Amino acid sequence: MTDVASPHLELDDIQAGALFERPSPYVGTYLLLHITDSADGRELVRRLHRIVSDSQTSDRTGTTLTVAFSYHGLRALGVPQESLDSFAPEFREGMAARAAVLGDVGESSPEHWERPLGSAEVHVAVAVLSRDPAGLEEAAEKARQAHAELPGLQVVWRQDCYQLPTGRTSFGFKDGIGQPAVEGSGRPSTRPQEQPLKAGEILLGYPDETGELPPMPTPQVLGRNGTYVVFRKLHTKVAAYRRYLRERARTHDEEELLGAKMVGRWQSGAPLALTPDRDDPGLGGDARRNNDFGFADDPRGFKCPVGAHARRANPRDALDHDGSVDVRLHRMIRRGTSYGPMLPRGVLEDDGADRGILFVFAGAHLKRQFEFVKTQWLNDGIFIGAPAEKDPLVGPNDGTTGFTVPRRPIRRKLHDLPPFVVTRGGEYFFAPGLNAMRWLAELTP
Amino acid sequence: MTTSSTASSHPGISVGPTSEFSLFFRVKPGQGPSLRSALEELQNTEGYRPGDYGMAIQTIHEARFVLFDEDTRLAFITSFDGPWDAYMEDFFTSGPTLALFDVIFRHVEGYDGLPDLAAVKAFVLSAEQAAAAYARNYGGTVKEIRKAERVNAAFQQVLDHPAAAELLEHPAMQPLLDEAGD
Repeated sequence: MTDVASPHLELDDIQAGALFERPSPYVGTYLLLHITDSADGRELVRRLHRIVSDSQTSDRTGTTLTVAFSYHGLRALGVPQESLDSFAPEFREGMAARAAVLGDVGESSPEHWERPLGSAEVHVAVAVLSRDPAGLEEAAEKARQAHAELPGLQVVWRQDCYQLPTGRTSFGFKDGIGQPAVEGSGRPSTRPQEQPLKAGEILLGYPDETGELPPMPTPQVLGRNGTYVVFRKLHTKVAAYRRYLRERARTHDEEELLGAKMVGRWQSGAPLALTPDRDDPGLGGDARRNNDFGFADDPRGFKCPVGAHARRANPRDALDHDGSVDVRLHRMIRRGTSYGPMLPRGVLEDDGADRGILFVFAGAHLKRQFEFVKTQWLNDGIFIGAPAEKDPLVGPNDGTTGFTVPRRPIRRKLHDLPPFVVTRGGEYFFAPGLNAMRWLAELTP
Repeated sequence: MTTSSTASSHPGISVGPTSEFSLFFRVKPGQGPSLRSALEELQNTEGYRPGDYGMAIQTIHEARFVLFDEDTRLAFITSFDGPWDAYMEDFFTSGPTLALFDVIFRHVEGYDGLPDLAAVKAFVLSAEQAAAAYARNYGGTVKEIRKAERVNAAFQQVLDHPAAAELLEHPAMQPLLDEAGD
């Protein structure tokens, strides 16, 4: 295996929204568009290219616009079949076709998804994010103008989203901690023990952790500096989650503890690995410390259960001696964001509101990053020696599965876990670099 | 896996959490003796000596290297916890596996060292044959079996205590008492 030095990242060509942290807090909108006329589609790409390009060079005010295309979207733009065939198989199939693999079954199965999510109608995804509603409105207006007066385009889906100043999502936990740093991005790692990932883990056109270039679509101008994006709308059953904990706890403190054991962090974001017995909001809010830990000193999970959500999603050093797993091949950039109103504190009855998380992944390898983590670590328990258990928070539990909380003298076992998260839809996208966008805009039919 | 997209991999048969994994190679002409001696050396390596129970890959139940047809063919046969095809890249970026495979596979046809991951993957996948039949006599993963062994050792220790019979009389202990007689 040759060790290829990571070349300088072409940051001007990479969509900033795909690589960099968002401002916090923020408000945003996701738009999905359908192309009925490929010339109008290419005109849209030309206009969006200009907006993204402008914001790359001049606008560091915290407003970003990110553009991505589904397989059907690239086809609708007139991308040649030979080029379409060069994309990752999972991307070509689309997320709905991967439902059985991903555990999107039952209530989460594509037949119940919001229309037109998961269908061939979804072509273009535009994410607009800003620090405040005024900035969002301004950016959204630009996006609107980009598709205005183009009859061959329709907005087929829209979802507003936001991140609270606390960073907390609907279950009450601070989210988005523990992102990997990317070599060449200029942003340092928040975890001193974790070297920045090779750029090719996230961006196409650079060597990845195996020392090689990730498989990249052709022609090179289309693939280079692009990244695959996973988008999922995940409804959270917050009232059911709160009731589940309430029914199993005698005190408020115990309820908080059980919730933390399921997540692997306290609500403030403080990791159980560092503060196993009580929340420490100072630690939770300290970006220099809240990601600075491992699990190797806690193999049996007395501090953080081996089956806790955050430990499953990123086992850090917990599997170092298995000899069959290289955790660095299964890292990803996550951009989770909230949608829908928060369920007011203390409410245990469902108010019927749609709320949850818009899960966004960015990475160069759909299969060994997103799909591996989802199928092997979140949906299964083989890797922790508990094949019957799934992720207690986001796994496809069915009311019969359980969760073990290691504890002295005797472990606690939670039974009859229902699903707390339901997939409302999603898609695999490709977020191209700026040169690639120009190439797409200039395709000749 | 229900998809045809991973046409290059063949997940094979699974029983519970465990999947069978078998590779068949042709030994390079004249290299039968050196391969046999490489395997003997492996057998004497720490972790691979009988009774060590400490192979580099801790998620396989056992591994065997079989030379057959007068040392012109080699089979590598194992049982892996999880779908092995999901871990293909991991095998070849995790140090011990790579080094182990290198000293053995250099004696078989189609192997030209480890130029790149794609080549190694192609080499392994071309040697892989899914079993036509596969059965297991227990359902646990290696991690579960090891835990069960620790629990049983602890239980035997409890039974050796002079007060064990008395302690196991509590109704809650009945399932353990049922296992205490032999």
